[in-house]
Order: sequence, then structure tokens, then C-alpha cells
Amino acid sequence: MNVITRGIRNAFRNMIRTLSITVILGLSIGLSLVMLIANQAVANKIASVKASIGNTISISPAGFTPGSSANNALTTNELNSVKTIAHVTNLTEVLTDRLHNANATLPSRFPFDNTSSNGNNTTSLSSPIKLNVNRGGNGPRIFINGGGNLPSNFSLPVSIIGTTDPSNVNSNAITITSGSTIDAGKSTHNALVSTSMAAKNDMKVGSTFTAYGTTLTVKGIFTGDSTSAVANDVIVSLPTEQQLSGQTGVVTGAVATVDSIDNLDATTTAIQNKLGSAANVTNAVTEANNTISPLNSVKTITLYSLIGAVAAGSMIILMTMVMIVRERRREIGVIKAIGASNLRVMTQFMAESVTFTLLGAVVGIIGGVLAGNPITKLLVSNSTNAGARGPGGGFRHGGGFGPGHAFASFHSGIANISASIGWDIILYGLAAAVIIALIGSALASFFIAKIRPAEVMRAE
Amino acid sequence: MLQVTDVQRTFKSGDTTVTAVGGVNFKIPEGKFASIVGQSGSGKTTLLSLLGGLDKPTSGSIEVDGQDITKMHDHQLIGYRCRKIGFVFQQYNLVPNLTAIENVMLPMEFAKVPVAKRQARAKELLAQVELSEDQMKRKPGRLSGGQQQRVAIARALANSPALILADEPTGNLDSQTGKMIFDLLHSLSRSQNTTIVVVTHDLSIAGKTDKVFRLKDGKLVR
Ligand SMILES: Nc1ncnc2c1ncn2[C@@H]1O[C@H](COP(=O)(O)OP(=O)(O)OP(=O)(O)O)[C@@H](O)[C@H]1O
Ligand SMILES: [Mg+2]
Repeated sequence: MNVITRGIRNAFRNMIRTLSITVILGLSIGLSLVMLIANQAVANKIASVKASIGNTISISPAGFTPGSSANNALTTNELNSVKTIAHVTNLTEVLTDRLHNANATLPSRFPFDNTSSNGNNTTSLSSPIKLNVNRGGNGPRIFINGGGNLPSNFSLPVSIIGTTDPSNVNSNAITITSGSTIDAGKSTHNALVSTSMAAKNDMKVGSTFTAYGTTLTVKGIFTGDSTSAVANDVIVSLPTEQQLSGQTGVVTGAVATVDSIDNLDATTTAIQNKLGSAANVTNAVTEANNTISPLNSVKTITLYSLIGAVAAGSMIILMTMVMIVRERRREIGVIKAIGASNLRVMTQFMAESVTFTLLGAVVGIIGGVLAGNPITKLLVSNSTNAGARGPGGGFRHGGGFGPGHAFASFHSGIANISASIGWDIILYGLAAAVIIALIGSALASFFIAKIRPAEVMRAE
Repeated sequence: MLQVTDVQRTFKSGDTTVTAVGGVNFKIPEGKFASIVGQSGSGKTTLLSLLGGLDKPTSGSIEVDGQDITKMHDHQLIGYRCRKIGFVFQQYNLVPNLTAIENVMLPMEFAKVPVAKRQARAKELLAQVELSEDQMKRKPGRLSGGQQQRVAIARALANSPALILADEPTGNLDSQTGKMIFDLLHSLSRSQNTTIVVVTHDLSIAGKTDKVFRLKDGKLVR
């Protein structure tokens, strides 16, 4: 029996009180922990989003608005001048178009533009993307004004992307799963199709399909980092697409790679100056910042909640200890009278309050560990709702290249947020509990010091 | 040997000054059993607190075994109370969450007696005050007043103090139990050669002590 065991034993002196303090402290410690877990998860995510920002610059035609048929494309000539700008190490140019299935019926109001000069934006391909009408189902949705359904033979227009870099489409790195890639520099009749597209249209390497009235051969089949984001895509070389669609020298967008992320902003400005008002030049930093901003607010909220929960826990234990000291005033006087120092009495009460908080910590840590991940996900998905809308595959219009896609990829990354709960979190929890306990017993200690042992000689 | 010289204790309450103890002189030789009697409010408890180092006199000196406790620092007083004094209170004042034997071990812990010795000594003392083995393991809430007061006496004796101070130790007990407690204190002062000072209202008890001090308005009267 020593001062510590006495303190621990005193913590169980009044079981109802012990139980309620344990529960309340458990809630506050659990909440602190959840907030800490969420805060860390979000901070990690922000860091990884920032780290994933490539040193690339997006160039798209100025005044580009999705769904508009009056977009002024850029030209290869204009973009050639970009290649000479300092720090630009690579330039990927893209011409994107949409093809609708020749046998499918489009709803009368379905916005669809014929960008090709030959006016023959048809294909034999059916889109692998299934659109859900109005509010039904998950994934891509379409809302039909006044209700109703899509025609039964409806097929979403397919994206055809002519690119100078077939290893990458709309910021998604792609992997060839069968066949081989295409020669990006030549006008050929070869194409790459997504695995979904191949499956939907029953194609293998070597199969053929038509686009713009021309027969193309499947040279390879690919998947992307995000399978759904590239599902609706057909990739051909830039010269092929320019020739097929009759848009010689035209591009709808480009990505410039810069030698170092430090030169990103300066180079962005240089490109913008070079291209003038004809182009929108943005880099991923701006886009990432937009994406991160809801995460930042989650981070702030969780930080304040963490502070609040720790403060609440400290207040609870502080009040409890003051209450207990007042209740045991006589007892404290007695043990002081028979030879206990203030320090010894304080140590005993600290042992008691540490016991309370450790009990609370056990409850709180179990609760926090269980709730940490779901709550983090909930907080993040609520605040980034706009981005969690599934793949926007079917809605890329015309030169569907630029910020929107970068967004999509950042957002899908955010949806994958997960809180990691390691031993360090549990140790933080325990350390926080002990700190809370010690802070909580500080005021009690002050009251203990003020109790005069002479008081015990007098009845209450 | 306990020597009290010109001890005065005044309290300030508001503008008025209350003189609880006003210039007291006396000597009690070692091993003697003394009692303090007097009307309510005459300063008995105040005087006892001063002797026990719970409170400091406004002026005067109190020598215990040749040491003036009025000149001690607070931390020295803690040691003094721990090793030299045994207290017995009217309200028993045992620690409710500790068993009888743990209560007796408590002052030994404060005096840094080795753990191994504490339990044996506590048992021995409780046996001396005639507590059964079963009663030793009980908490104060499950002991009678008389039993609690006997535990308190055993606790007061734990560190073999030079001086035992008891403030109305029989005040809450019936006369028969009170007499038993008193006899216990009496025999202890004989066998252990401990000086005992008892405050009491019971003149029949006071009559049996070696020395009786009468307090009136904070002063000793003949
Ligand atoms: N802390 C204090 N502040 C002011 N006055 C006090 C204080 N303590 C005691 N007194 C006063 O000192 C006087 C002596 O009190 P004390 O308790 O010593 O009397 P007592 O002889 O023990 O009485 P009783 O037999 O009723 O216990 C009383 O008038 C009391 O009001
Ligand atoms: Mg009194």
C-alpha cells in the first residue's frame, strides 16, 4: 500500500461516479482521437495531393465551355512556339472529338456537336458507359427535363482522342493490356481502345471498327489508373485524328511538361504570354488548390474539434477532482495532520485522476479507433460532395481536355481517403489522457495545499 | 518533557481579535498523563493544536524533547507531527477507504518505515487495543465507534510518538466505552512511557490523571 495504490483505489471508491466519469471522459478522449485521426488523414491526403501535382501545364482554347459547339481550337503551329519556351521539356498535343453510334438514336435535346469538317461523326462502336436516367442508380446520370427515358437503342457518344502521347490520356496513365501501342507521330488507321470498350463491342487486338466512315484496326487494348475514367475512350495518333476528322493542324488542348515544379508558375505565365488570349493556360497547382480547399476546411474543423474535445476532457477531470477534494477535505486534513506532505497528498490525487483518465482512455481509444475511419470518410465526403460524382466519362464534349479532368482525378483520390490508425495514435491517446489528468489535478492540488490540518480538530 | 512558555494564540475575525489562548505556562514530565478541562470555548482545542504542531502560536514557545516547535518550518513540522505526535480525535477521523490495519500502517508509511515492518507492527498494535483479526480487515464504516477509536489510538501509537494528544476522545462514546478508551490510554502511558495530554469534559476521567489543567478564557486557573 503506497500513495499510488491508494490513489488508484480511491478512484473506485464510488462506482457510480467512476462509471459516469469513465463514460464522459471516454467520449471526450474518443472524440479527441477521432479528430486527431481525421486531422492526420486529411493532412496526409493534402500532402499526397500536393506531392502528386505533376510539373505540367494545361493549355486549352480560350473561352472553352463544355457543351458549346463554337469552341475555337488551337493549332499545331501556335503550339510549336510553346516548345521553344525555356523549361518546357515536353509538349503533348491532343485533338479530342466525340463520335456517336451510327445505329443509335439520340434524344432530341441531347446536346451534340459535329466538329468534324466532313460532318460524319459516326462510329460503329457502342459506348460501354450506361447512363442512369434521372436519379436512378449509381455512376453517371442524366437528368431529362420533364422526365421520360432515353431511347432504347441509345449509346453515349464515344470519345476519340488523337494524341502525341498515347501513354497518357486526360491525365490518366494508361497500360496496354494486350496488343501494342500506336505510333503517335504517324497518320495510320490504328487505334487503342479501353478494355471496357473492347468488351462492350466484342473486340480483340486486330478487330476493326469504323469512325468518320473509315475502318480502324484495334492495335492495343488499355486500362487506366482509374478504369472508369478512360472507359469511354478511343486513342489514335494526333495526325490520324486530324486527318480522319478533317481538321488539319488543329488541336483542342495540350499539356506542357516543365523541367521543375519550381518553374511551373513562371513557365505558365510565359506560355500564356506567348499564346495570348487564344488560350487558357493553367497549371495543376491552382487546380490542386481548388481540390484541397474543402480538405483544408475539414482539417481546420478537426483541429478545432480536437482542441475542444481535449479542453472538455480537461474541464471534466478538473471539475471532478475539485469536487472530490472538497468532498474529502477532512480526510486530507487528517492525513496531513498525521504526517503527510502536500506533495504526497497531491501525488495520491494525481494517481486517482490519472486512473480516471486511463479508464476513459481505454473506452475512448476503443471508440476512437472504431469510429476514426468512418468519421473521417464522412467528414471528407460531405465537404467534397461536388467531386464525388462518379466518372464524368460521358460528358466530355469537344475538346474535353483541361482542368475538369485534373479535378476528376484529384477528386477520385480524395474519395479514397483512409485514416491509418497505428500504435502511435494509441500512444498519443494515452499521453493526452495523462496530460489531461495532470492538468485536471492542478487546480485540485491548489485546493489540497490550502487545506490546513488544524481544521480536523473541529467538527464540521 | 513538554514545556509550554507564554503561549498565546489570537485569531483575527473581521475587526475584532479573539484571544483563544492567552499566555499559558506549564510543564509535563515525560510519561505523565495530563488532562485539560474547561468550559466550551475556553481554548482547549486551540491549545492542543498548538502542542501538536497543527497551528502556530502568535507568541511564546513550545518545547518538546528540548526542541522548540514554534521555530520550525512547515516541512519540519510535518516530520514532527509524523514522528513525535500521535493524534486521537473526537470524531475518530480514520480514512474511510482504508481498512483498520491500513489506517494504522499509514503513519508508518509517512515515516518511511520499511514496508515489511509496517504490517507486523500494525497487527501488534491493533491486538494491543483488542481488535480481532477480522475487525482489522474491516473499513471504519463497518466498525463501532468504540472500535474505531481504538483503531485511532493504535494509529496514534504507530510511530512510537513522544506525545499523544487526544481531544475529547470519549466525547462520542457511551460512558462505559469511554471509560475503556480512557483506561487504554492510561495503561499505555504507563507501559510505553508516553506523555499523554487529554482534553475532556468528564471530570471523573480528569480526576484520575496525573495532572489536571483548568482553562478559563484562554488562561490556566488553579
Ligand atoms: N479559526 C478561528 N478563528 C476565530 N476564532 C477562533 C478560531 N478557532 C477558534 N476560535 C475561537 O477561539 C476560542 C477557543 O476555541 P476552542 O475551539 O479552542 O475552544 P474549546 O475549548 O475547544 O471549546 P469546546 O469545548 O467547545 O470544543 C473560541 O472562542 C473560538 O470561537
Ligand atoms: Mg474543542
